[in-house]
Amino acid sequence: MATEASPSTAETPPLPPKPPPPQTLPPASASTTAVKAEVPLSDSKASADVNVIVVPSYSRWFSWDSIHECEVRHLPEFFESASKSPRVYKYYRNSIVKYFRYNPTRKITFTDVRKTLVGDVGSIRRVFDFLETWGLINYHPSSSIAKPLKWDDKETKPDSASNSTESSSAPPKETSKRLCSGCKAVCTIACFACDKYDLTLCARCYVRGNYRVGVNSSDFRRVEISEETKTDWTEKETTNLLEAITHFGDEWKKVSQHVAGRTEKECVAHFLKLPFADQFLHYQQHPASNGAVSGTDDGCKHKRMRLTPLADASNPIMAQAAFLSALAGPEVAQAAAQAALTTLSEAYKPTRISYRSFPKNTLLQDAGITSNGGNTSDSFQGSRFHANIQLEKEELDVEKGISEIIEVQMKNIQDKLLHFEDLDLLMEKESQQLEQIKNMFFLDQLTLLFHKSSAPKTGECPEGNYVKTVCD
Amino acid sequence: MKTPISSLYRNPVKFRMPTAENLVPIRLDIEIEGQRYKDAFTWNPSDPDSEVVVFAKRTVKDLKLPPAFVTQIAQSIQSQLAEFRSYEGQDMYAGEKIVPIKLDLRVNHTLVKDQFLWDLNNFESDPEEFARIFCKDMAIEDPEVGPAIAFAIREQLYEIAIQSVVSARESRMSKKGRRGAEYTPVSKGGAVAVDLVKLFGPKSSVVRKRKEWDVYEPIVDLLSNEEVDALEAKEERSFR
Repeated sequence: MATEASPSTAETPPLPPKPPPPQTLPPASASTTAVKAEVPLSDSKASADVNVIVVPSYSRWFSWDSIHECEVRHLPEFFESASKSPRVYKYYRNSIVKYFRYNPTRKITFTDVRKTLVGDVGSIRRVFDFLETWGLINYHPSSSIAKPLKWDDKETKPDSASNSTESSSAPPKETSKRLCSGCKAVCTIACFACDKYDLTLCARCYVRGNYRVGVNSSDFRRVEISEETKTDWTEKETTNLLEAITHFGDEWKKVSQHVAGRTEKECVAHFLKLPFADQFLHYQQHPASNGAVSGTDDGCKHKRMRLTPLADASNPIMAQAAFLSALAGPEVAQAAAQAALTTLSEAYKPTRISYRSFPKNTLLQDAGITSNGGNTSDSFQGSRFHANIQLEKEELDVEKGISEIIEVQMKNIQDKLLHFEDLDLLMEKESQQLEQIKNMFFLDQLTLLFHKSSAPKTGECPEGNYVKTVCD
Repeated sequence: MKTPISSLYRNPVKFRMPTAENLVPIRLDIEIEGQRYKDAFTWNPSDPDSEVVVFAKRTVKDLKLPPAFVTQIAQSIQSQLAEFRSYEGQDMYAGEKIVPIKLDLRVNHTLVKDQFLWDLNNFESDPEEFARIFCKDMAIEDPEVGPAIAFAIREQLYEIAIQSVVSARESRMSKKGRRGAEYTPVSKGGAVAVDLVKLFGPKSSVVRKRKEWDVYEPIVDLLSNEEVDALEAKEERSFR
């Protein structure tokens, strides 16, 4: 008969389950806006305010009432079987998160949570692990990103007999193959080497932050490892590869056959590494693919030249961004760059002059280069747009000025015309007066003539002549 | 419509926990070098065996116990799982069994006393759900009480299920098939299967007798620290 079910006598803090203090911000939006999907795995800033719960940006899908698809993917047991329902999953998840958020500064253990939840411990543990890896619980961004994840910890536990971390951090460094000290996988695409602590991490581990405490992300430098070091891809092979892809599309077997001496894997890997990969897929639709192949081939070499300056940057964040944008494909990188630009433009609004200084030639040049260049041209398009707006404003101002000048001139002319009219009137009047005087004078002369003609008849002729001459 | 009880007794069912989820109650009570670890939880037997070790390590790490506990915990869990699995292939009789389940437990500061009837034939029953609703209805604040209640129910159901397997084996051996209807299994806890025929027959009423009211009413008590200490001391003594 069940008598007492007392819990373990080891230390478990008493848990009065009061509801968590009302949070000033809903959890989903608590991640600070400094991270806007440019480097999707970076952490958000720590906030000193207790009422704000910090959630990493990659977990912002979390909401109390709904279940996101990544939860369904990671924990299918709750959604496929008949006995466990999504409601149960929500109950576990919400209670665990509530429990953590009740006091977000401390770190909760699985056993604490397990004791308070009704259900079988296996599934509770899986939900707990899931929430922890996604940073929804036990997430303390103030501590360095270099905290190793719990389940990685467990994986390395059976490997190392002793608890020393030295054994895991001294990988057997071979020149041909590099083993990642985090996940013990062979590093293929790119490596991050830290000389300070003698660590080598594969790209995934670096990006995930899977290294020891005390190691900073900036201590790593990027080391390009590609299968090209073993056997470089010649131009011919690359052309062959591209041709094969245009013909066969996704059938990598045939592609590898077409490209002599390369396995499927190598073909795929190399194709992905070609920076214009995504754009090239669109070319498959066009019949002029062959021309494009050779064209992009040259562009590809130049492209690679252009990538490496970024990749060799001593700042590993830039290297990370370049690497990620190359992997993620141009559309994603484009969206990311645009988002970054909009935030930058908002931040730098007063200094608009900088946009105008971009000469149009360089803008066009950049726009002419392929996909990664496509990213920058998009960013330039943004600035060009701004410049255009400025131009239009200027034009409007100029037009205004001109119209004002015209108005003034017109007024001038009008006044002058009026003046001329007045003068004209005067002239007319004067001429009329003159006519009148003329007429009067004529009349006077006539009367004088009559008087003279009526008086002496002999003295007529000279006066008559005189009169004639006067009349003429 | 009504199937005679005897026929139900004759159709054995493969052993399993008579609940919606086939979970095993695991009880741990380990003492090493003066440190005592007591725990009780439910386990899913379909989890792979590697889970046991993982869980043991996790628990030891979380509770900061000495690492010697890991093997002990793992062993204990595994032996209980093995016992469960040994019953699994066998038959058990599923009669119309309504058994009383008794709760008499103390979790931290909360004391719970209750008794209720449970239908063993209902393979969709859910002790976890019962525990959740119980805590909600009784406004129990301590979140550890729920799992303890679910565990207690499960443990009793497990015992009864084992009993039915044992009795099925016995009855088969002694060839009591025909008289199975009269056979009422008695579990360790004294829970006698209620005879439905008598209970719902024409001679008695469905309403519970007055003297049984107190028994079937749930009692939840909050203890003070001294009472808790006193009870714990008593338990230690009875354990030794």
